[in-house]
Amino acid sequence: MFTKKQPWQKRDAGLTARMIISFAVLTILYIVFLSVLAYAGVGAIAIAIIAGILILAQWYFSDKIVLWSTGAKIVSRAQFPELHDLVERIVARNNLSKPRIAVINTRMPNAFATGKTPKSSIVAVTIGLMDQLDPEELEGVIAHELAHIKNRDVLVLTLASLFSMIAWYLMRFGMYGAMFGGHGRRDNQGGAAMLLILVIAIVTWIASFLIIRAISRYREYVADRDGALITGKPSKLASALLKISGTMKRIPTRDLREVEGMNAFFIIPAISGDALTNLFSTHPPVAQRVKKLMEMEAAMS
Amino acid sequence: MFSLSSAYITLEVKLGLKVTGRCALTFKRVSGTFFYQMEQDIRQFLDNLKPEFDLTWRIITDAYGYMWIVFEGKRIEDLLAGLTTVSDIVEEKGFSDQLLAAVFEFSSDREVGTGRGASQQYLIYNYKRNNFYPFVPVGQKTIDAEQQMKIMATIAEEIPFERDMTLWYPLWDIPLRSLG
Repeated sequence: MFTKKQPWQKRDAGLTARMIISFAVLTILYIVFLSVLAYAGVGAIAIAIIAGILILAQWYFSDKIVLWSTGAKIVSRAQFPELHDLVERIVARNNLSKPRIAVINTRMPNAFATGKTPKSSIVAVTIGLMDQLDPEELEGVIAHELAHIKNRDVLVLTLASLFSMIAWYLMRFGMYGAMFGGHGRRDNQGGAAMLLILVIAIVTWIASFLIIRAISRYREYVADRDGALITGKPSKLASALLKISGTMKRIPTRDLREVEGMNAFFIIPAISGDALTNLFSTHPPVAQRVKKLMEMEAAMS
Repeated sequence: MFSLSSAYITLEVKLGLKVTGRCALTFKRVSGTFFYQMEQDIRQFLDNLKPEFDLTWRIITDAYGYMWIVFEGKRIEDLLAGLTTVSDIVEEKGFSDQLLAAVFEFSSDREVGTGRGASQQYLIYNYKRNNFYPFVPVGQKTIDAEQQMKIMATIAEEIPFERDMTLWYPLWDIPLRSLG
């Protein structure tokens, strides 16, 4: 399920890992449950209906699952007045509906938005994010999350991943069919058809996996752009991205003349597996996002 | 390096960065007659260059033992010509391993991102990597990373650019303004 929106998951493995594990555990439970049903001799149509109900339930409870798996707590105005004020200022200026606000008690700077409809959505930020960013940068990040909500990215990605899920279920059952099916009848036709379904399902699953990631990366760029339009300060979101990703800290402070002796160091070409990681990641590289934001900044000034 | 002769316009239009007309080439001094001979060749070349080009120059040696050929001139073409000719001499004489960097100075009429006031900003050309990277010092041994990113975003497509930020080594106290 793609009910989560995380702008900087590359750096915050913890938060992402918790979400992924939660959804993976759920998915495995489904498979086990459905496999038991299949083994017990429940018909294919009944299994499809039950699987459908489970998917709907996961969709319906996605907010709670996300909050629970990330440890995010909904906070009241009394608890975090400044955060509420900041969000209210942005939504009032841009005629958006105010989301519920959640806080995650971790030093890792991160934020995400979730929710099936704009009205029921949640924006969550970590304590670390509020500590490390100045108010304008925080505004940029929250505007980015509000843009995700406005663009209904959770819905878009869930619909996109539906294909992937169906293919996945087909693949699983195709596999069970190939392994355990056709005991009674020994006709090869049935086996061949099963194999064909299996191959198609696998191809569909791989393709949809990559497409979903491509869509996700594109939605990130859109949310960056729309978020920057909401605040009118693209460079603030850019500098927030740089801070969160730790890019700023990677710029050295030692003098070039001091490190020049390590000649070999300069000869090594900058090897990067960027192309491959790009294909699989849900978020575009920070440098690329910063570049686009800075281009916006240049165009606006 | 000549790609800079057009890229500087982009920096001026988009970021308000103006070429100050100061630039320098720096390479490591070594002892020995060959190096001494090269230094004489460079001086001779620069002396003869004077009437043709609108350039002034001076030679400085810094605390790290690096020699700096500092140029001042109004036209970027002249600055680039002077700089590349000297680097050609260094390479011809077999000292290309000693070549460290070329630096170009800019000044901003806009406030720098951190608001700590505008000062000099630089593009450094690294001879080991054959590409440029930005250097925006602020105060004592700190940099304005946001402004450096802005510079990269503005001209990285136009000139060979160092995209690996872990190689953006600063050159503190660039002696472009001190007297030899």
